[in-house]
Amino acid sequence: MAHFVDPDYACRTELPADFGRFWQDVEGQARQIGLAPHLERDRLRSDREVTVFQAFYTSIDGVRVAGWYCLPADCAGPFPGLLKVPGYKSDPAVPKEWARLGYAALAVAPRGKLRSRSQFDPGYPGLLTHGIVDRNTYSYRGFYVDAWRGIDFLAARPEVDDSRLGVAGSSQGGALSLCTAARRPQVRAASVGAPFLVGMLDAAELTSSYPYREISDYLRLFPERRRQVEETLAYFDCINFAPEVTCPLIMNIGLRDNVCPPETGYAVFREIASRDKHLYAYPDQGHSAGRHEHDQIAARFLAAHLEPKRPR
Amino acid sequence: MTGPGDRFEPYWRTVLERLAETPSAPEQSEIALRETEFARLYGIRLTGVGPYRLFGYLSVPKGKGPFPTIYWTPPYGSVQEIIPQGTANEVRSRFATFALAHRGQRTADRPLAAMFPGLLTCGIESPGRYLFRDVVADAARGLQFLAGRPEVDPDRLVAVGNDLALQSVALTGLASRLVCSPELFFDPLERCRRTRAYPLEEYNDYLRRFPGRRASVALTLANFDLLRFAPRVSVPTLIVAGPPGSVRDEATLAPLIRAVDGPASSYQSVDSNYLDGVAIDGWIAEQLGSGPPILPRHWT
Repeated sequence: MAHFVDPDYACRTELPADFGRFWQDVEGQARQIGLAPHLERDRLRSDREVTVFQAFYTSIDGVRVAGWYCLPADCAGPFPGLLKVPGYKSDPAVPKEWARLGYAALAVAPRGKLRSRSQFDPGYPGLLTHGIVDRNTYSYRGFYVDAWRGIDFLAARPEVDDSRLGVAGSSQGGALSLCTAARRPQVRAASVGAPFLVGMLDAAELTSSYPYREISDYLRLFPERRRQVEETLAYFDCINFAPEVTCPLIMNIGLRDNVCPPETGYAVFREIASRDKHLYAYPDQGHSAGRHEHDQIAARFLAAHLEPKRPR
Repeated sequence: MTGPGDRFEPYWRTVLERLAETPSAPEQSEIALRETEFARLYGIRLTGVGPYRLFGYLSVPKGKGPFPTIYWTPPYGSVQEIIPQGTANEVRSRFATFALAHRGQRTADRPLAAMFPGLLTCGIESPGRYLFRDVVADAARGLQFLAGRPEVDPDRLVAVGNDLALQSVALTGLASRLVCSPELFFDPLERCRRTRAYPLEEYNDYLRRFPGRRASVALTLANFDLLRFAPRVSVPTLIVAGPPGSVRDEATLAPLIRAVDGPASSYQSVDSNYLDGVAIDGWIAEQLGSGPPILPRHWT
C-alpha cells in the first residue's frame, strides 16, 4: 500500500513556557555585538549585469559570518532586499539570478558553513546534534541568529529599501526562512520550501534518512539523554516560531519527501499566523518539492510583494 | 568538442603510475555513533597522490559477507555524507557502502580547503597544474581501496556519482556496474554557453575574467572529456540525464551513451527526486541481483 501522508498530522512538539524570553535573551546578547559589515568586490564572479561581493558580518559569540551579496550592475537602487538561506549540507550559492531580477540578494553562510567555519565547525553529520543537551550551547542558537542578522545586514545597506525585505529558502533554508520571518517582523514576504527543523523528534521517526537520522543515532547511543534533547529541541523547533510569522508566505512541500517528511510540513503550515498564506503540495515530488515548477511561482510571489524593478 | 590530440593517454598514465607508487596506508576506526542494529560504520583514512591524506565513510552490514557494494564517488561540493541525503539508512543493512571525500572537501581539507564555487577552475590554465587531476586520482584511489576489501563482492560493486564515477571506473576497471550523472566534463565549454547556473557558470566566470586563456583551458579540459573515458568503460552502465531541455538532457548526452564500451542505457530525469530515485535504485538492484530495492518509506 502506498505511503499515506496525513494532512492533519499533529507533531508532539511542546511550547516551552519561557520560549519568548529565551529568544529575547539570545537576541539581547546578539545586540551587544556590532554587525561590523564588510564587502569585498569579487571581480571573478561579477559580470555585466551583476556585481558580486563577498560579504561579512559579525554575529552572536563574535562569530564572523560570510555571504555572497549580489547587486544589479546596470541600474541604481534602492533595491528590495532578499535574504537567501541555505540547505543543510549545501554550499550557499552565489545569488546572481536574483540580482538579475532586480534584488539586492544576500546568500548567507551561517556558522559552520563553507567560508564561515574558522570559529565553529561541527561538520556534516554533526551540526544537528552539536551541543544538543543544553539550549544555551545547541548549534542552532548561533546558527539561527546568523541568519536573522542577514536581514539586519540588508536593512543597513544604503542601496536597499528596508521596507521591502524578503526571505527565501528550502529544506534547512525553509526552516531558516520561517524563523527569520518570525523574529524579523520587517520581513514582508517569505517563500518556504520543504521545511526542515519542524516537529524534529516526530520527523526522526517518520524518516530514516539523514540529516534527521543524526537525532536517532544520538538517542540510540545516549538514550538516557532523551529528556534533555526533547527540552532543547523545543526551543528550536520551527513549529514554535510559526505563530509569530505574520507576513505573506508561500510554502511548497513534496508528498514523497523522505528528507523532510510532508506530515511535518502540513503541521507547521497550520500554525503559521499569516492571514495571507498558501500551501503548494506536490504529489509526485520528493525533497525538491516541485522546484522546477514552483521556482516560477515563488519568483512571482516575491515580485508581487517586494516590487523589484527589472534592470534595463 | 575539444580535441585532446594524443595527450590524453600519457596524462592519465602518469596518474596511474603515481597511484601505484603511493601506498594507500589505510587506517580504520569505528564510529560508534553511527552504528545501527544492522551495520557498523568506519572512518577510513587513506593516502592519495601527493601524498595527501583522504577520508571516507565505510559502512559494513553485520553478518557474513562479501556484500553487494555501492561506491559513492565525491559530489561537487564541500560535503561528502555517509550516505547521500534522502537514502534510506536501511540500505546499509544489505550493501557495504563507501563514500569518499576527495582532497579539499570536509574531512579531507587539511592542508587544502577547497572553495565551492572555485575548485572547478583551480589551476585550469595548465593541464599539469589543474587540481582536478588529483581529484580524479582520489576517486580512483577510493575505488582501488574498496575493491580490495574482503567485505566487498567485486562482481557486485557499483560506482555511483557524477563525472568522477565514470572517470574512476575507466581508469581502474574495478567496478562491475556504473551509474553516472554527468555534470562537469561532458563538452563543458559548449554547455556552459547555454547556462548561467553553477557549477558550469564557474567556467563562464573564469573565461570572462581571463578571455585570453580560452585555448589553454580547452587544452586542459580535453583531458577530462567523458567521451575520451567512455570507451574504457566495459561494464553495464546507466547514464542519468537531466530533464528534457536542460544542458545535460538525453539528446545532449547521446554521444556519451554511444561511446561507452559496455552495455549502456540511459535514464532521463523527470524532475522528481522521488521518481528518479525509484528508477535508479531499481536499476542498481536489478543489476546487482540484490533483491527488491530498499526505498525510503515515503517512496513506497
